[in-house]
Amino acid sequence: MRAVYRVLAYLLALEVVVQAAAIAWAVFGLTTWIEGGGVLDKAGMESESVVFDGVTGFMVHGMNGTLIVPIFGLLFLISSFFARFPGAIAWAGAAFGLVVIQVALGIFAHSIPALGMLHGALALGLLVVALVAARKASVATAAASEPASTGSHAAPLV
Amino acid sequence: MLTDTRPAAPAAPRGRRPRRRTVVALLATLAVLAPVAWFWAASLPAGSWSVTEMGVPDDGGGPAGMAGHDMAGMAGRSVDTLRLPAETPADARITLTARADGSRYTLNGQTPGPEIRAVAGQVVEVRLVNADVARGITLHWHGLDVPNGDDGVAGVTQDAVLPGGEFVYRFRATQVGTYWYHSHQVADEQVKGGLFGSLVVVPPEGVGPEATALVHLFGGRRTVNGTPGDLAVPAAPGQTVRVRLTNTDDGPMRAWSAAPYRVLAVDGTEVNGPTPVSGAAVGITAGGRVDLEVTAPARIELGGAAVVVGGGGAPSSVPAASVDLLSYGTPAPLRFDPTTPNRIFDYAIGRRPGFIGGVPGLYWTINGRMYPDVPMYEVREGDVVRMRISNSSGEVHPMHLHGHHAVVLARDGVPSTGSPWWIDSLDVPDGATFDIAFVADNPGIWMDHCHNLTHPKQGLVAHLMYEGVTTPYRAGPDTPNDPE
Ligand SMILES: [Cu+2]
Repeated sequence: MRAVYRVLAYLLALEVVVQAAAIAWAVFGLTTWIEGGGVLDKAGMESESVVFDGVTGFMVHGMNGTLIVPIFGLLFLISSFFARFPGAIAWAGAAFGLVVIQVALGIFAHSIPALGMLHGALALGLLVVALVAARKASVATAAASEPASTGSHAAPLV
Repeated sequence: MLTDTRPAAPAAPRGRRPRRRTVVALLATLAVLAPVAWFWAASLPAGSWSVTEMGVPDDGGGPAGMAGHDMAGMAGRSVDTLRLPAETPADARITLTARADGSRYTLNGQTPGPEIRAVAGQVVEVRLVNADVARGITLHWHGLDVPNGDDGVAGVTQDAVLPGGEFVYRFRATQVGTYWYHSHQVADEQVKGGLFGSLVVVPPEGVGPEATALVHLFGGRRTVNGTPGDLAVPAAPGQTVRVRLTNTDDGPMRAWSAAPYRVLAVDGTEVNGPTPVSGAAVGITAGGRVDLEVTAPARIELGGAAVVVGGGGAPSSVPAASVDLLSYGTPAPLRFDPTTPNRIFDYAIGRRPGFIGGVPGLYWTINGRMYPDVPMYEVREGDVVRMRISNSSGEVHPMHLHGHHAVVLARDGVPSTGSPWWIDSLDVPDGATFDIAFVADNPGIWMDHCHNLTHPKQGLVAHLMYEGVTTPYRAGPDTPNDPE
């Protein structure tokens, strides 16, 4: 289960990278399209017929953010119950909490755009938490697979 | 197994502990997954449903007494009886034949379909024929308060017209003004693909110079009457021209002109005392219409397209200001008294994660509940109804009530001080609250939904339900009907 935990942690970290890349692609694509004479208003935004290089970025960011990342976050949290190393649940819980906050910010930033800054900043927090969790899982696995209780410094297993 | 060189006593708790931990972990998993699974299972759709069985009845503080609303077809009049008498002769007849053409749809070979024109008071008969649109079609007369049986909502007022089938709509065009028609079967896809057209009702005395501009995005380009770019309207210099603008897309658009213009009508209803506007744009919500009067030469900008009247007018960029219909024009008496309503409803739009039809996502809520637990607004014929529409969902919603026109009383608590502002499609931005009122004078079962046609599928659809009216029609995967 620790391996699953580690893989899910890395997947979450990867998702943060994908999200950042997708939204940057979309924003550059949109501005380039507008520079080229494209006109966008709400009607256009809502129309699936507006197509520019990068429009997929918006869709990827939306689908990932509302569906795939929450599912990964949930699975990560569940895997932490079985990972059995100190801090496993705490780190996964933190990651899951951040995912929840990110989804909420993704909703409320439509009302208060400045929340978007927090959304972007917290993404880096999620990245760090996911990477630390993955690292901790690796260390715990390595420690467990070392020939245990042979040295004088071996900590007693609890 | 454990090596047995160790004493037995400490080994036992070690052996039990992991097992206990596994149990705790499983319980924690269950605690996390059970609510998710429960919400998922609860959202799985039935094979078919009747709108009369769906949702949360809301009597708005009026007399309830709607026993039997959950027994579809067992009590009351069917929507099929709410139609013009068959013997009423038609004054104008047209046949519209629908075809699928790639991702587009045509009516009588064109996209959008032909404009239907009627003189006020005429009985219009439209024979809709489906040549080959696989999922079926209907026509809804957007803004015309037709009898319920002719409202054209698949699964509510009729069955979708399948390939080879036809349906004859008949209604008396009593409201002068600018309207449009569109499919209300798989509406999101079919309206995006052009299954719509213009519908204009002119007064018996006729109208002056005018033009129709149905605005729609095809392939990311804004088109007017199906053609990208500018619509040229011939006019002599100094001549005033009425331009009928219809927003057939899913989001609000704006129209403006460098030269002064007047807003003659909103959603088909004439504005009382329209004054010249300069330096401001007028918003048109999705599904909404606005009639503008310009003096030739003039250029009405639509954002990526324009209506060029009398060959003239310089292009201009969108003004920051907007015409506020809450204070535009001159007040006039209403034809009813909204201060003593029989029923008061809330239509509060929110958003949260959840499941609809077993699919997880971020969905709209109405009064805090998610589809299918949407309100069923119960009214009795003759009721004066007030509704407070509020939006805290983060996005704008163009709210459309079928079969009725409502008057805007106030926005964010500020009363209307201009012309009576009659709407059938109302732009409700995030954070806004509107108080509207209408008379329940058109018995039936009427959709009250968002006209961003991707949103009803995400739960933003409710119904106005008259006492004693039922429907034999059903929607859902086991039927051909999918009104959204
Ligand atoms: Cu909406």
